[in-house]
Amino acid sequence: MLEVKNASKVYGKGDTRVVALNNISLKVNKSDFMAIMGPSGSGKSTLLNVIGGLDRLSGGEVILDDKRIDNLDENALVEIRRSKIAYVFQQYHLLPSLTALENVFLPLLFRGANGNSLDKAMDILKAVGLGKRAKHKPGQLSGGEQQRVAIARAIVNDPSLILADEPTGNMDQKTGAEILSLFDQLNREGRSIIMVTHSPEVAKHAREIVFLKDGQITDRVEQPERI
Amino acid sequence: MKLYQLVLKDILRRKKRVFFAALGILIATMTVVGILTIATAGQARIYSQLEKYGANLNVVPAISNVDMKLGDLSLGALTVGENYIPEVKLPEIRQIADGKIKEALGIKDDANIATIAPKLYVNTKVKGTSLLVVGIDPGEERTIKTWWKIQEGKYLEAKDQALLGALTAQLLNLKIGDRISLNGSDVTVTGILEETGSSDDYHIFVPMPTLQSAFGKEGIVSSVDIRALCNACPVEIIADSINQNITGVRALAVKQVAETEMGMVEKMNKFMLALAGITLVIGAFGVVNTMMTSVHERIKDIGIMRAVGASRRQIIKAFIYEAVIIGILGGIAGYLAGTLVAYGAGPLVFEGTAITYIPQYLPLSLLLAIFVAVVSTAYPAFRATTIRVSDSFRSL
Repeated sequence: MLEVKNASKVYGKGDTRVVALNNISLKVNKSDFMAIMGPSGSGKSTLLNVIGGLDRLSGGEVILDDKRIDNLDENALVEIRRSKIAYVFQQYHLLPSLTALENVFLPLLFRGANGNSLDKAMDILKAVGLGKRAKHKPGQLSGGEQQRVAIARAIVNDPSLILADEPTGNMDQKTGAEILSLFDQLNREGRSIIMVTHSPEVAKHAREIVFLKDGQITDRVEQPERI
Repeated sequence: MKLYQLVLKDILRRKKRVFFAALGILIATMTVVGILTIATAGQARIYSQLEKYGANLNVVPAISNVDMKLGDLSLGALTVGENYIPEVKLPEIRQIADGKIKEALGIKDDANIATIAPKLYVNTKVKGTSLLVVGIDPGEERTIKTWWKIQEGKYLEAKDQALLGALTAQLLNLKIGDRISLNGSDVTVTGILEETGSSDDYHIFVPMPTLQSAFGKEGIVSSVDIRALCNACPVEIIADSINQNITGVRALAVKQVAETEMGMVEKMNKFMLALAGITLVIGAFGVVNTMMTSVHERIKDIGIMRAVGASRRQIIKAFIYEAVIIGILGGIAGYLAGTLVAYGAGPLVFEGTAITYIPQYLPLSLLLAIFVAVVSTAYPAFRATTIRVSDSFRSL
């Protein structure tokens, strides 16, 4: 469903020129779970950003469901974010002034909410185990709880692809494991997941691991018998 | 839940930040409202001072060569000869004055408009001192001399009463209830005026018929003051018409003073408006600055909203909703604060001026505040949405 062809991303010019992505190609099928690993500065996050249209490519193509999306204008990208691709970030990126429920509801609101969509947001929040924390603001929630809210927000519009940037990076092992099992569940439900991580433990959950270094793919590991 | 409800909730939870954003608007609106309110009060004060010039038409006997240019202020030099105006001409004078004013203002009803105050001057000796006794129509005189204040006692109410100028009472050592003789007729002192700074301070005022009968001058008056103070009042036309139609009298317009004063009021108004305009521009810059900071602080939030599916238009809309709310808050508070400032500072600017709040400025300040808030928010908000989402996360 997603294909990246010869993607490259270059920041700056002349002496300050930095090649963040160098001729990357990869393919993610429906219900795939791909982990992207590599040292910091290897281009992991940049790759995730260009796939989701949060950043622009310098060269190459991103194809989603047989359509190029790297050259779309802002309005078309908005449509894709509302229906097909959702994000989960390491820093959760919740709006601090809104409650957990309102944060989950936000994508529905921007999509054009109708009467019972607040109930839908509540259902999703319950599904990630935070029904009782609906009225709490991010500041009153633990890191794990905030990430659950962020995951609920990511899936409320029922996307087929979830891009996760070190979603367990700020967590202890136990909380991280809980969050990962949530991702496993989303994956079992048929959603494709691309997850950036530097933790081999986390990467074990993926069906395929792609290793990046200096913007280039250095290795690919398939693990059909993943945990 | 709709976008504006979300904005409203968001605002309620960020009271402090919203307060500071509204503060800039408040200060701008406050200054403009304050200046305009003070200016309006000052204008009213100048108009009321203008009224103190009293008559703006002076009718004297035709052969009198007394210089009357400054109204009754120059009457000290008046040596009243045997030149009088017959009282029977007063209704004719009123007819002309009222007629011309009604014509100019397009009024149809029959009510009297101009104040017509006849005066009779008699030089006589009271308690051995020579002074001027003035016969007046108490009601009309009071209307012309709005600045008269009774220091002691009361104003003229009956025939055999006398009202003393402040200095007359002092010099002759007269008190309320004292009786004085005017050529054999006794009158009782019923009131003493506060000092006016004019020749009125040296006079004794008695009702016209009393003075006329005491000195055998029934049916005649020395001069007539006419007041028709309004911007459009055709003072010169009235004067011309009186001069043409009534024999034996000469009417003089004292409009020049009024025109000079009106000119001053207009200049002052222009100055105040310019001041208010400059303040507004400076205030608006402050607001732009605050709003830009407010938008800038939320570049990350904007990135989040876009990442979860907000379009540029929705984000700009949300900021405009917020600006409208901040504008409403700042506008109302600014109006109240500006009015308070006017109440505090107005009396210092125009000594002794009573400030009145002006309700019409409330919608005006609201419009102004909302306009400034929206304009200064829309641009930075638009700019913020052109930042790449990935960069907006990096910015903080």
